[in-house]
Amino acid sequence: MIPKFDYFRPKTTEELVDLLAKYGEDAKMFAGGTDLFVLMRDRLIRPKYVIDLKGIEELHEFSYDEKRGLRIGATVTLNELLESDVVKERFGVLWSAAGALADPTIRNRGTLVGNICNASPAADTAPALLVLDAEVEVAGKGGERTIPIRDFFIGVKRTSLKPEEFVKAVRIPNPPAGAKGGYYKWGRTRGEDLAVVGVAALVVNSGKRIVRVALSSVFKTPLRVPEVEKVFEEEGPLDEQIERAVSAVQEKIAPITDVRSSKEYRIHMAGVLTRRALKELFGGS
Amino acid sequence: MVKYSYVGKDVPRLDAIEKVTGTALYTGDLRFPGMLHTKLLKSPYAHAKIKKIDTSEAEKLPGVRAVLTGEEAPYRFGIYMSDKTILAIDKVRHVGEPVVAVAADTEEIAEQAVELIKVEYEELPAVFDVRKAMEEGSPLVHENLSEYKHAPFVYPKPGKNIANHFKLRKGDVERGFREADVVIENEFYQPQVQNVQMETHTSIGQWLQNGQINVWTSAQSPFAVRHLLGVGLGVPLHRINVVVPYIGGGFGGKAGLHWEPLVVLLSKKAGGRPVKLVMTREEQFYTTAVRQGFYGRIKTGVKRDGKITAMEILYLWDAGAYADYGVNITRAAGYSCTGPYEIPNIKCDSITVYTNHPYGTAYRGFGHPEFHFATERQMDLVAREIGMDPVEFRLKNAAVPGRITATGEKLREDAGRVDECIKAVAEAIGWGKKEPKQVGGKLRGRGIAALWKAPAMPSFTSSSAILKLNEDGSVTLSISSTEMGQGTPTALAQIVAEELQMPIEKIKVVTKRETDFGPYSWQTVASRGLFMEGNATLDAAKNLKEQVKATAAELLGVPKEKLVVAEEKVFVPGQPDKSLPLASLATAGIFPDGRGIGGPVLGYGMYTAEGLTNLDPETGQGLPALMWTFGAQGAEVEVDPETGDVRVLKMASAFDIGKTINPTIVKGQIYGGIVQGIGSAFMEEFIFDQKGKLLNSNLTDYKICRAQDIPDEFVFIPIENPQLNAPHGARGVGEHPRISIEPAIANAIYDAVGVDLFEIPMSREKVWLGLKRKGERK
Repeated sequence: MIPKFDYFRPKTTEELVDLLAKYGEDAKMFAGGTDLFVLMRDRLIRPKYVIDLKGIEELHEFSYDEKRGLRIGATVTLNELLESDVVKERFGVLWSAAGALADPTIRNRGTLVGNICNASPAADTAPALLVLDAEVEVAGKGGERTIPIRDFFIGVKRTSLKPEEFVKAVRIPNPPAGAKGGYYKWGRTRGEDLAVVGVAALVVNSGKRIVRVALSSVFKTPLRVPEVEKVFEEEGPLDEQIERAVSAVQEKIAPITDVRSSKEYRIHMAGVLTRRALKELFGGS
Repeated sequence: MVKYSYVGKDVPRLDAIEKVTGTALYTGDLRFPGMLHTKLLKSPYAHAKIKKIDTSEAEKLPGVRAVLTGEEAPYRFGIYMSDKTILAIDKVRHVGEPVVAVAADTEEIAEQAVELIKVEYEELPAVFDVRKAMEEGSPLVHENLSEYKHAPFVYPKPGKNIANHFKLRKGDVERGFREADVVIENEFYQPQVQNVQMETHTSIGQWLQNGQINVWTSAQSPFAVRHLLGVGLGVPLHRINVVVPYIGGGFGGKAGLHWEPLVVLLSKKAGGRPVKLVMTREEQFYTTAVRQGFYGRIKTGVKRDGKITAMEILYLWDAGAYADYGVNITRAAGYSCTGPYEIPNIKCDSITVYTNHPYGTAYRGFGHPEFHFATERQMDLVAREIGMDPVEFRLKNAAVPGRITATGEKLREDAGRVDECIKAVAEAIGWGKKEPKQVGGKLRGRGIAALWKAPAMPSFTSSSAILKLNEDGSVTLSISSTEMGQGTPTALAQIVAEELQMPIEKIKVVTKRETDFGPYSWQTVASRGLFMEGNATLDAAKNLKEQVKATAAELLGVPKEKLVVAEEKVFVPGQPDKSLPLASLATAGIFPDGRGIGGPVLGYGMYTAEGLTNLDPETGQGLPALMWTFGAQGAEVEVDPETGDVRVLKMASAFDIGKTINPTIVKGQIYGGIVQGIGSAFMEEFIFDQKGKLLNSNLTDYKICRAQDIPDEFVFIPIENPQLNAPHGARGVGEHPRISIEPAIANAIYDAVGVDLFEIPMSREKVWLGLKRKGERK
């Protein structure tokens, strides 16, 4: 059973701002609830107040602009993302990450913003947002601000959000021209699982090579590896570069051993997935 | 040529429409006026003295109707070993063991009340490893083992953590090893796992003030619940009525008695209000019963020509904190210890060991999936050592009719044929055919494993059936074998329709089981249902026909022997005027002048297991098997050498089921068993911390098969050598598809990449580790 709590369903962001100003520390927000209610049922958290964001129409905005790129509101579900042709065609790395998260029934409720606010090191969409240089639109009593995604995650299940703040939307600029991307997830099974390791990669292979790689489940936060980008800044044989990228990833990550995997297997698989991702993304161009 | 032929045909399941439309009722769906809800306070320690329990705050909470502690429930329950009270008394023996139970108006109140209870514990040294638990000086899980009541075929060792030591001695094992050209010894391991039924354990109990006890429960065996509850509580059985609606999966985990005594005692304390308990998914993992863990060591002596001369076997079973079912699993695995082969010299010790893990119970296959992993891996390892083909090696030693089993039983002439199963599976997976081993960087391999299993049950168990002729000529079959997905009631309807030669639409099988009305059946376990209920049902149909004929003979003025029952009539063939509709005889026969004769027709049938004996306590020799169902599983896998991922391309299975009653239902059993086995082979496993706390007590981290994990292809080959004392020759096959999946896959993995695995589950990481170690050895 879920312990008792007071439930709010604000209709406007102004109402939400007021609620958070009043109850911030004791309140938890949810859209899909696929993380929050599991934690509450397990008594891992016991918020006095639970705020449902689904009543705020503004937060359900999901738009694309040729110049500014993608804007995904806080209550846009993962399945809504997956149904978008723009996401599929232009933000392939995000599309493949969203499709790798949990299963269709959970994606029917779960949201992209919820996934990053939960801030699990295993968050499947986070590495994709990291390689896409996403920005997080945040609002609160003190006004609005934008947090680059690379500064958003600060620890296991911790973000740089203040208690009275909420995420309005995630903005994703258009990727560099000709970019291809994918999220390569490894679980314990072929069926639905949390990531033992996940690798998001974005590759441009026209003229100068651009490569960005970020990972889940191998560090206290989702992690982008800038050292990989440096490898490809210089000219060189591709296979050699890929092997150097693999080494860069394996040196940078600091996974733990837990019930899902040993540290050693995570390091090994981070290398395998990075290599597979880069070979596939380069090979297909 | 008969008009109505149903046996062997695809009759749709009787329960299909009810289940797919959601109208089928399960125990959890039931509500009664004034019903209370239960929550449990559970032990956080694996082994600890209970110093003090303070329930005063909980009792004061409005809406709390009963708070029960172990001291108030000093009853021991058990079918084979009465080592368990319903709530812990004096000490707790595993993390998750219930200590206090609360019944309240709502689940919320019950849960709040549990949080108000204070228990003081004093932690005791705990033991988690079966081999350590057997050492001198190990912490004792049960100090009073000598005082527990147990079945006569169970041999506990008081003063040790041994609940049962089953011994089997055949021939002279030392001589056997001397005669061998090669002797090979290996160790194998399987972890504790859960049955993971969709429906968690659910029970409602009511102890009325007039002494009547009513129970509604998701139990496999209503009569076993009634009996064990009555004996445990000291209540006469006619004062107990047990109702079992549909069950949302049992897989052995709902055999015998579970939480029924708890809800009944809570109801008594709450003044007779009905009390419901629904286990949470987490409690299903660590509070209620699970499958035992397994450690096996096998030494095999073999001649160069492939004849096995001796086997020395040690099976240790991690029963966890209580061993009620564990003791009999140990025994069943002990008498079947060799797998389906004739071995002249055997020494087997199969031992139930208490530890501070969650407690073990029956799980589909009753120990056989565990030990067959050992024996069938060992068969491949031995064959390799002597350079013989594993299929040929198995066939050479196969226990075919006329050969002698481990307990000295000479297999009957109409026993099933394991050799035919092995050959069929070998052919289906292309054994011996040259096919490319490497496909796109992945490596393919094939493996085979054989199996056998007989129902594990006391030698004299029985079943009965009642067949009622209704006023319109339709019939209603009552049995007490439950429906938990296996489809037995549908098969029984087919048998009745064929026996009475009437349309199957005119046959109803009662869906609810209720001990006040239903005929006796021992348990719905052990793959015995179709065989035993089937024989009882056939007997009932014959009895019904006899009753009808007796009355009809008088009314028609013909000898009874000339009459035939078919097409809803009783008649003399070839004499159209000597015929009566069955409907006209249902309540009584009527002479033309209005006089009545006979009476309501109620066919009764029964069947008692035949030809079984007790086993010798020192040698295990005797006759334990009502029927052996033999089979073989073949796996074709594709291994990714870089990641350790194994994909099952194909599973081919053959079982000698004697006769197929309903092909679709049989296939359902086969595929379901394979999928369950694949879960165990690759992903299912209890992972504990140092203190015995389960770390993966949810479906996030205890993985079971999803659709993506199942084999690309299933091939099932029915082998049909009928057993003469079985209904239409049919043997049970409920558990068998679940057996020998793990070794077939492990053998295929070796064939693919040359890695030998001795531990289950064969996770991606473990396969990768195996590959890595193999690479390092080179």
